[in-house]
Amino acid sequence: MAHVMRTLLALASLLAWGSGLAAAEPDRQGLEFFESKIRPVLVEKCYACHSAEAAADGKLKGNLLLDTRDGARSGGDSGPAVVPGNVDESLLVSALRHESFEMPPTGKLPDAVIADFVKWVEIGAPDPREGDSAPVAGTIDLEAGRRFWSFQPFRRTDPPAVKDESWVRTPIDRFLLARQEQLGLHANPTADRRTLIRRAYFDLLGLPPTPAEVEAFINDADPQAYEKLIDRLLQSPHYGERWARHWLDVARFAESHGYEQDYDRPHAYHYRDFVIQALNADMPYDQFVRWQLAGDELAPEDPLAMMATGFLGAGPFPTQLTEAEFESARYDELDDMTATTGVAFLGLSIGCARCHDHKFDPIPTKDYYRFASTFTTTIRSEIELELGEGETKVQVSSEGLPHIKHHADDRGYPHFYPETHFLVRGDVHRKDGVAEPGFLQVLMPEEKDASHWRVAPPNDEARASFRRASLANWITDTEYGAGHLAARVAVNRLWQHHFGRGIVATPNDFGTQGEHPTHPELLDWLASDLVQHGWKLKRLHKVMMTSSVYMQSSDFDEARARLDRENAFHWRRAPQRLEAEAIRDAMLHVAGMLDTTMFGPGTLDQNMRRRSVYFFIKRSQLIPMMMLFDWPEHLVSIGARSVTTIAPQSLMFMNSPQARQYAEGFAGRLEDKSREGAVHQAYRLALAREPTERERQVAAEFLAAQQERHQQAGHADAERLALIDFCQAMLSLNEFVYVE
Amino acid sequence: MTPPLPNRREMLRHAGCGFGLLALAGMLHEEGLVEAAPLGDRALNPFAAQPAHFPAKAKRVIWIFINGGPSHVDTWDYKPGLEKWNGKSIREFDAEFKDTTGFFKNQVGALMKSPFAFTPRGESGKMVSEIFPRLGQHVDRMAFIHSGYTESNNHSPALFMMNCGLPRMGYPCVGSWVNYGLGSESRDLPGFVVMSDPKGRGLPKGHAANWSAGFLPGVYQGTHLRPTGDPIDNLQRPEKLTDELQRSQLDLLKQLNETHREQFAADGELAARIESFELAYRMQSAAPEAIDIDAEPAYIQKLYGIDVPECGHFARQCLVARRLVERGVRFVQIYSGGMENQRSWDGHIDIDGNHRQFAGETDQPVAALLTDLAERGLLEDTLVIWCGEFGRLPIAQTGEKPGRDHNPHCFTAWLAGGGVKGGVSYGESDEVGYKAAVDRVHINDLHATILHLLGIEHERLTFKYNGRNFRLTDVGGRVIEPILA
Repeated sequence: MAHVMRTLLALASLLAWGSGLAAAEPDRQGLEFFESKIRPVLVEKCYACHSAEAAADGKLKGNLLLDTRDGARSGGDSGPAVVPGNVDESLLVSALRHESFEMPPTGKLPDAVIADFVKWVEIGAPDPREGDSAPVAGTIDLEAGRRFWSFQPFRRTDPPAVKDESWVRTPIDRFLLARQEQLGLHANPTADRRTLIRRAYFDLLGLPPTPAEVEAFINDADPQAYEKLIDRLLQSPHYGERWARHWLDVARFAESHGYEQDYDRPHAYHYRDFVIQALNADMPYDQFVRWQLAGDELAPEDPLAMMATGFLGAGPFPTQLTEAEFESARYDELDDMTATTGVAFLGLSIGCARCHDHKFDPIPTKDYYRFASTFTTTIRSEIELELGEGETKVQVSSEGLPHIKHHADDRGYPHFYPETHFLVRGDVHRKDGVAEPGFLQVLMPEEKDASHWRVAPPNDEARASFRRASLANWITDTEYGAGHLAARVAVNRLWQHHFGRGIVATPNDFGTQGEHPTHPELLDWLASDLVQHGWKLKRLHKVMMTSSVYMQSSDFDEARARLDRENAFHWRRAPQRLEAEAIRDAMLHVAGMLDTTMFGPGTLDQNMRRRSVYFFIKRSQLIPMMMLFDWPEHLVSIGARSVTTIAPQSLMFMNSPQARQYAEGFAGRLEDKSREGAVHQAYRLALAREPTERERQVAAEFLAAQQERHQQAGHADAERLALIDFCQAMLSLNEFVYVE
Repeated sequence: MTPPLPNRREMLRHAGCGFGLLALAGMLHEEGLVEAAPLGDRALNPFAAQPAHFPAKAKRVIWIFINGGPSHVDTWDYKPGLEKWNGKSIREFDAEFKDTTGFFKNQVGALMKSPFAFTPRGESGKMVSEIFPRLGQHVDRMAFIHSGYTESNNHSPALFMMNCGLPRMGYPCVGSWVNYGLGSESRDLPGFVVMSDPKGRGLPKGHAANWSAGFLPGVYQGTHLRPTGDPIDNLQRPEKLTDELQRSQLDLLKQLNETHREQFAADGELAARIESFELAYRMQSAAPEAIDIDAEPAYIQKLYGIDVPECGHFARQCLVARRLVERGVRFVQIYSGGMENQRSWDGHIDIDGNHRQFAGETDQPVAALLTDLAERGLLEDTLVIWCGEFGRLPIAQTGEKPGRDHNPHCFTAWLAGGGVKGGVSYGESDEVGYKAAVDRVHINDLHATILHLLGIEHERLTFKYNGRNFRLTDVGGRVIEPILA
């Protein structure tokens, strides 16, 4: 065994370090040189700060270990110290020469000694010192780490007093306005009802209101008309479809494996349906989290809980694997689950700690592997569930169930290994002990360990290990666990979609490299409000949407823009471009072509008429129309999509068969046979308003002239064609794709 | 009244216009719609030309991707030693050889000499396989790297490694990084164009992830010219919408957008979107023009071999590549071959037949591309790369006709053109071509060198994503100085 291990190590170093032959088969002469000229100097001059012993004493500098061959070659924070055969690349030499660092710090060594090191590197740095570098420990100061804002418990702040009490509708407004008043800003007045209803419809449903709905709202004399509107929209099943899509970005949800063959996962859509149903049912967010991580352990009898576990298995995974890749592929898969769990629920890039302690956040590599080991035996399976209409096959992530079919099954791919090891620098050939499940130390009090959150399996026959249940328990624990951070991350996502940017502008990074919150007290107030009220999201939507800051108009003011050009402090409501799904869904809706059938398998067919959330997401065949408008690639968690304006989008509006079909549908709905009447109707349908006098005139003139041009081009049906051209232009308007 | 000007950072957040973005920014500027931005202000325009880190010869890249993994010992890495070892077990050569090195562990044959004859070519006398009669004429323009190695013995991770620097899905590829680093020189064409096999043999393994922008803004992703049918989506006007009719429709759209724009004059992206329709309108003619090889004179078409049945399809793509770089496209990648096995250079069965076929498909077109670029003075500042995702083992893969299996330990690449020293070879494989042995070149090193040739310091080209500054060369990368002119 020891021999095998050594061979592996030698091979690994061969692969990693070019001319490693010298290391694998060091010749005697070289070794003698090392023993007589090099080792004594290292021991005397370097080990005090660069050895396992120094590390144990907390004296290790630059994470560099020079007491083993591997340590010297892997190097420390600045890179490899010794690159055999390459003097220029060997930091050790340049440090001795005082060209990069100045080592040893006590004074430059004699030139002859430095020349020995140069020669040693040139002959391939022969070095008999076997063994891994001791894992570096204790370089992260957890106590200091815990003081960073996002790792702290909520700071309870009462909503502040403001000068302009008349603008305040909700406590949110106090936080916003107090900050604005400090900066010499003030917000806009409330927008008119036509603007408000369109804004609320797109925000909550991702669809425009019908003319009848607009009229009813405008004519509602009830002072609570707006609150009633929000309540009604939150009850619409379309709400879940709209907000599920936001979460599916975070969950890097797709329905195929990716990589080589990109096989479909035909039963993965149940996870998407779970998200829609959970949101529509206003499932408490902490339960939403727990079920996605461990629904199979916590509520195995509830089909919805089983569907929720699709979260863990939604990432890409290679299908064509060679034996040499089996184990590293499994560690990549553990990494996908670990990293996605980290950014999705905690806004933390835990994945960065896979190869070394996190460079910026207080997450040691040990924590990473303990966290990852939670998923050691978790695999994708397909099971039959009773979903109301008989048995249906559902893809779940669980333990102790048969694995789904894999391309490499006939090569013996094991799907999982019984244990997860600590890996030195993420290398599966460099195992350093078995990792027991654990969580992030920075998000637990010093006196607690993982056992505090452990959920014991209900009986000895339990299929699953309940390690994921324990993790879910810790993430949502607001007393000692990560619950406060989880709540902050959740409210920030809601805020981001309602206001265009998060209070923390980097929704997937609440670590030290992320943006700091623009309104930290508000974030904590909202997060603690969420927790206090049973983690209910619908209530939180309403709290946000009934604030004056949400309801204000979009009017621009150069004087205020000079103080806050980016509108970080929300003195106006900037128009926001709709996402890919909302653009397409709105076009279908206005065309009268939208098929509102919910749930079930999706399709790749761009001509389908259901909402875009029902596109089948195949990683190698992403829907072109969605990709044009910044659809994610569904490979890693995306917290905020980019918003680009590119010419091919315009080509879609101008030339795509779909845009033309939608325009035809739209034109078909214009019953008023007079040109001016049709223009009025079109504006009401597409933009929820009447045209201005000028718009009416321009449009009517176009219809007449375009009809004539079609006639001249010899087209029969010229009047209808002109109307279609007009409708296509309406669907292409800025006002159609930007919501005030 | 002058409308207030949108600010640059705001524009970056909504940055856009993959195609012709420079033109768009220019127009907005001309029309006084945005603050005057110094040329190269990426905040205003993600495709604005960026200053290089240092002066460099190469301005653009054409990468001939030898998909499936070309056998180095049968193409450019002449191994007389392999004749000596022919028929012997590779374990006699290297006791640590593992059957799982290649893809098929049950078809490990003996060491096998190349079925092809090698002859010295050019003034440098480089030994070249008989399957490249025309490319052999250009060896004095090429710098060979014989000591490349990669991290996976499997197509798609190795493709990702070669394209993105990591053997996993989801990272930006070289073309995206280069466009992010340098911006675009084209007014109405994408900065990064990819062409794949037009003979129905599929896409490279991993598909579009090979030209993905990863976590870079989506505007930097490669534009895949569809090999059959319309090369770009939605370039054709709807039936019954003539140019004139569409023009008047777009005029209407512009007029109706006006009221809205007056109200939101400060929101630059709204103005940008109005202009993007004008750009799209122009692209309808510009893009087809750029790829219209029928406009090329007969002697040029003949040079590339457009009418030669064996290589006509690849000749078209090479000619399109030249037309694209001529029009300012920064990075063009052409995949030779489709998905795998006999559909690409993946010569598992019958290495002789496979490589003869694919060399035959590419030899004349690539040679013509070098000649044509040189004659136009474009080769001086265009970098041409010939490289696949890995090499192939010097042993036979057993079967009816001997093939060769994947070899992650060694491959050959060549570079030619802008900033490259011609007629040189760097690095060596071992005696039989099993492993890179002397001056080994990691893919990070190859990428660092490509970036260097374009005037980019690989350590300075970074993008912050989920809390970390990423670069194409990850934590490695060393410029291969000896091949620089």
